[in-house]
Amino acid sequence: MAIAEKPLHYLTIHEAQKLIHDRTLSPVELTRAVLERIDAVDGKLHAYINLMADGALQEARAAETEISRGNWRGPMHGIPVAVKDQLDVEGAPARIRQHTKGVGDATAVRKLREAGAVMMGKLAMSSMPDEPPQPRNPWNTDHITGGSSTGSGAAVCGGLCLGSLGEDTAGSIRNPSAFCGIVGLKGTYGRVSRYGLAPLSWSLDHCGPMTRAVEDVAHMFQAIAGHDPKDPTSSSAPVADYASAIRNDVKGMVVGVPRDYIDECAPRTHPIVLDLVEKAIAELKSLGARIETVTVPTLKLATIANAVIYYNEFWAAHKSDAPWVLKNGAPQRRARIYLGLLTGSADYIQAQRIRSRCRAELAEVFSKVDCLALPNQAGPAPLVKEVGPIDTLFKHVVPEYHGPFNLTGLPTLSVPCGFSENKLPIALQLVGKPFDEVTILRAGYTYQQNTEWHNQRPPI
Amino acid sequence: MDKLTENALKALLAREGLEPKEGDLEQFAEIIGLYMGNLKTLHSVDLGPEELGPVFRPEWTGK
Repeated sequence: MAIAEKPLHYLTIHEAQKLIHDRTLSPVELTRAVLERIDAVDGKLHAYINLMADGALQEARAAETEISRGNWRGPMHGIPVAVKDQLDVEGAPARIRQHTKGVGDATAVRKLREAGAVMMGKLAMSSMPDEPPQPRNPWNTDHITGGSSTGSGAAVCGGLCLGSLGEDTAGSIRNPSAFCGIVGLKGTYGRVSRYGLAPLSWSLDHCGPMTRAVEDVAHMFQAIAGHDPKDPTSSSAPVADYASAIRNDVKGMVVGVPRDYIDECAPRTHPIVLDLVEKAIAELKSLGARIETVTVPTLKLATIANAVIYYNEFWAAHKSDAPWVLKNGAPQRRARIYLGLLTGSADYIQAQRIRSRCRAELAEVFSKVDCLALPNQAGPAPLVKEVGPIDTLFKHVVPEYHGPFNLTGLPTLSVPCGFSENKLPIALQLVGKPFDEVTILRAGYTYQQNTEWHNQRPPI
Repeated sequence: MDKLTENALKALLAREGLEPKEGDLEQFAEIIGLYMGNLKTLHSVDLGPEELGPVFRPEWTGK
C-alpha cells in the first residue's frame, strides 16, 4: 500500500519520520490520528492502562515547533510511542512494585524523550497487581497477545502507537511480537539500560523495542542503546549505526540452524510453525545466505537453567513484596515466589554453570556462522479461554525457543514469516553474536524487503 | 508435588514469616512437581570443571 493511502496510525516509523522531516506531516496530526485510533479500538484491545493523551499532545506540539524551526532531532522526533508498565515513567512508576519507589523516567524512556518521541502512555502487562482486562490479539480478539509485554504487542499491531518498549526475561518481547505479527528486538544483555525497569530477574531482564518493521526497530533501538552509568551491567561497547548498517544484503551471510534443538522442541511445536520457519530459512538462502546445520548440545538444558535463575532472582528481588503478593498478587506471581523459595543455592549455581557452558558452545558455533535461525513460538496465539493463569510457567520448564537466549544474553530478533490457517501470525527468530545486532537486523530487513508478511494489517 | 516438597515449602515460607494463600499448594502442585523434577535433571549433567556463568568485574562500581 502506498504511503498516501495508509491511515496515519498504520504508518511505519520510517515512513512517518520522512514525512515529518519533510514537514508534510505534523507530529500533532499524527498524534491525534493515533489517539483517535485508541479511542476507536482500545475498548476491544485493552492495550493501554494509562493513556497520557494531554501530555502526548503537548509533546507533539513541542516537536512540531522545534521541527518547524529547523531543529529535527532524528527519526524518532514526533513519533508516538508507548511503554510497557514495567518501565518507570515520570509520574507513572511501574505498578508491579509494591515497596520500592519509581525513579522518574527509566533511562530507555528518557532516551526516547531526548530523541523527540511522543509518549502516549503505559501499556498493560501480564500479572499486574490489580489484574486489569488482559489485552486481546488484534488479529482475532478471541486470542491472546502473548506476554508478558501484552499491551506492547497489541498496541503496535493495532495501530495504537508506532512503536513500543517491551521487556524480555524469558521471551516477553518475542512472544507477543510473534503472536501479533510485529517485529521485536531483544538486544544483547547490557546494550540497553535496565535503570528504571522494575526487575523480574536482574541477570535475565532485557528492555527492547517492538515495531511493525525491521527498519523501525533499528530506529528505536538506536535511540535507546548505549552505556548508562546508572546500570552496573550496562555495556560501554560502541553503538553501531543500525539503520544504515541493515541496508546491506545477506549475500555470503552464514546462517546456522540448530536442528537438534529444533527437533528437541518439535513435539511441542505446531507443524505450521516448523513449516513456515523452514520456508523463511529457504528464502534467506535464495537471497544469498549460506545455511549450515549447527549443534549446541547444552541448549536442551538452557530453558530450565533460565527458569531456575529467573525464579531465584525474582524471589530475591520481590522478597519485601512477598506478603502482599501471596495475599493479593496474580497466580503467576505467587507461583514464582514458591518456585523461587524452593530453588536452593546449589541449584542456582548449577544453572549458572550451565549458562557458562552454553555460552562457550555458542561462542564456538558463532566462530563458524554469522547468526542462527529457528522458530520463535510453539504455535499460533491460543484462545483466551484455553489459557490457564500459570500456563506460561509450564512453558518455562521444558525446552523452548526463548529462555536459552536470555540465559546467554544474545541478541535476538522476531520477524513475521507467515500465518496459520486461521490467519494468526507466525514468526522466525534470528539470534546474533554478542553486540552484533546489526547482522540479525540486516537479515530481518532483507527478508522483509522480499516478503509481504509485515505489511499485512489485522482486521480490527 | 510430593509430601516432602510440600513440607519443605511450608517450612521455607514459615521461616520467612509467610503463609501460602489458601488453595495455592493444590493449585500449583503440578508445576511445582514438574519444576522439582527439572532441578534433578539440571544436576544430572556432568559439567566437569565448568565455572560460574557471571564473572565478577572489579571495575563494577554500582549505581
